[in-house]
Amino acid sequence: MTVLEVMERLNIKEETLAIAWIKDAIHLIQSNTKEKVESTKRDLIKSVNSTDNVYILPADLVSLENISIKDTSDSKYKKIKRMTSQPHYLAEDTSP
Amino acid sequence: MSFFVDKEWFYYLRGREILLYKLRGGSSTSRISQSGVFQSYDNEMMYPDEDIADGLRIEYTRVSEPFVAEELETTTSYESGIIISFEDGTGTSVGGRDVIDLGSTATTEFVADDKIRVRGSTSNDGDYTILAISVDVSTGYRQLDVVAGSFTTEAVGGRISITQIPVEVESPSATSHINLNKMLNLAVIDYCKAMLAEQNGEIDKKEYFMKEFYSKLGDNESNKRNISVSFPSGPFAVR
Repeated sequence: MTVLEVMERLNIKEETLAIAWIKDAIHLIQSNTKEKVESTKRDLIKSVNSTDNVYILPADLVSLENISIKDTSDSKYKKIKRMTSQPHYLAEDTSP
Repeated sequence: MSFFVDKEWFYYLRGREILLYKLRGGSSTSRISQSGVFQSYDNEMMYPDEDIADGLRIEYTRVSEPFVAEELETTTSYESGIIISFEDGTGTSVGGRDVIDLGSTATTEFVADDKIRVRGSTSNDGDYTILAISVDVSTGYRQLDVVAGSFTTEAVGGRISITQIPVEVESPSATSHINLNKMLNLAVIDYCKAMLAEQNGEIDKKEYFMKEFYSKLGDNESNKRNISVSFPSGPFAVR
């Protein structure tokens, strides 16, 4: 279906408005269902402090499906579990 | 080396960030010292303690390629077989182009400007755009020309599939197609009608069309998961 067909069905003349609404609708569709799922990969780095283990979510993300880590023993990506709360800092090992 | 990652690795979402943690102990025998070690109740956690190339994989939905050059239902061209080969710089229609030789004289459904996805090859899997359809002068086989520098030479033998995929329109206009199937296109129209009703201050109509929108989303999902349920009537049931 073309943008023009949508405009005719709505009886509107503003092409830019129709395109904006269509994009909004697709956003809502992607938020509620899994019409088109994509994946991205990042390098994992050895962390030595509380900033090294932080990775930014993709900027264009609408809905997160899952996160997996590469198991280097068999080169397979395996889904990992989400923690509902951040680990509580009870003790920090400062010994050499 | 990482192992049992599904049991020993965890993530926590903090706003736009993913925080990764690893369970200390278990299969891990590395010595934990100095910074980055802390405890969480009975389970001691630590920060990831190794480099892994492409180690983090995030699966998600996004608004990608919302508009395409042709209707989604018409992007059905497909070729598959063990007679497909790849040639580096042997194109004849325009010298130097790389080609996919279909190994057959049969007419192909592909046309110029189609976007294709190659799978099953040793080193040429990927997405490409067909520049022209040509014919090998020596064999008479159909060939798909793509831009030079795309392929590594690969002989016939492997089972290769070539599937047409939609071509994105980056600057949409009235003639652009929505990159959705027919049912979801109808859902989009309901959404637009809802927005139009809202603009006109007709909130009851807006609610109605939004309900229709979600109803079509549900229909689209259930169309992929058709389940037939039958209820046998009992021997004393009123018929």
